[in-house]
Amino acid sequence: MSYLVKLDQFEGPLDLLLHLISKSKVQIEDVSITEITEQYLETLHTMKQFDIEIASEFLIMASTLLYIKSCLLIPKSKPDPEEEEETDPKQELIDRLQEYRKYKEAGNWFRKREVYYSRVFYKLPEETSVEERKEFLSPDVSPALLCRTFMELLDHVKNREKRKEKPVPVVHEIKRDPVLLKERVTQLRDYIGQCARTTFFKMLQSGDRDHTKDEIIVTFLALLVLLKENDIVLQQEYPFEDIQIIRKGVVYG
Amino acid sequence: MDERERMAIVESILFVSGDPVNIRDIAQILDMDLRLVRKLMEKMTDCHSFERRGLQVIRVNDTYQLATRPEFSTYIEKYIGQQSMQVLSQACLETLAVIAYRQPVTKSDMEAIRGVKCDHTVTILQNRGYIQEVDRLDTPGRPYLYGTTDLFLRSFGLSSIENLPPLDPGQDPGQSGADNS
Repeated sequence: MSYLVKLDQFEGPLDLLLHLISKSKVQIEDVSITEITEQYLETLHTMKQFDIEIASEFLIMASTLLYIKSCLLIPKSKPDPEEEEETDPKQELIDRLQEYRKYKEAGNWFRKREVYYSRVFYKLPEETSVEERKEFLSPDVSPALLCRTFMELLDHVKNREKRKEKPVPVVHEIKRDPVLLKERVTQLRDYIGQCARTTFFKMLQSGDRDHTKDEIIVTFLALLVLLKENDIVLQQEYPFEDIQIIRKGVVYG
Repeated sequence: MDERERMAIVESILFVSGDPVNIRDIAQILDMDLRLVRKLMEKMTDCHSFERRGLQVIRVNDTYQLATRPEFSTYIEKYIGQQSMQVLSQACLETLAVIAYRQPVTKSDMEAIRGVKCDHTVTILQNRGYIQEVDRLDTPGRPYLYGTTDLFLRSFGLSSIENLPPLDPGQDPGQSGADNS
């Protein structure tokens, strides 16, 4: 019968050492290297038994501990006054443990604060457009223009009827997707990052060739993605007009 | 224009903005000296607290923002539904603590203190917007130096980085926390 044993999670070798020291109920300064090394290696063995991958940092610490232990066994040579004062590896480890413990404890304080202050709510900025509302019809609409537009419309309808008379077999060609939406989103985000505001038409003018229908569609979809992710604000004065693209967080108007 | 009216104007601006408003912008709008605006904002913050209004004025560095009070969150959540919050892992909190107290700091400094790699936790903290690259160190490899952001201060209820409790071993820093409400 197989069963799983849940071991305490350690953030690293220092965390594990602190745990072992607190378990043996001694102060960091009074730790016995022999004992702690034994317990440390034992824990690593247990981890191995349970097929837990041991990160290299744990192995480095194991060798550091064994090194300190060996230093303690070998009698100290007389200090050479010429040589710089050698640092005691045990003291060094103790200093590191004490330093690490400070930040570990500070981390607990941060946890409490984050949970408490996550209960504060803020409001999104008002989306105010200071620009004046333009009339739907621009003043240069003349009866002649209306007439011309109407004629064009009639032509259009006529053409469509013509096409209906002679049904042509429709062949759909499916092309590979040349522009990836993900790529375009990244491009646009960079672009918006550089210039705080631009327009949809301006974006399609970049480059010396005409954009294909696919590219235009993908660009539009990318805009919608950015809008959804709250990176930009879109404004359009009236239907079919150019779309103003404004980076979020910029005062517009 | 009396003080009351000025506070009311600032309050309405903070409402419209939603985002933190810089004190310089407030000074410009009111056509007032920066020092006087600081006093006005202090008074406004106190007023909101004293009257136990639903909204508080919070300060983060040189910016002010309207926010709800954490003690009313139970009622707010009754209205909007329980808010799920992704809390930071122990590893992230440790890394964040090192950055907050030692900034500006490189990744290798963090790794020296924590004894483990910090690439992943730094990325998470960056994505959260709690830390940012503030500079590069003028040593081989030009490593990035990291520091905390205003969003970090706001999310942990701190008005400025000086409000962090002292980093004392053996003492629960929760006892001496600064409060910006």
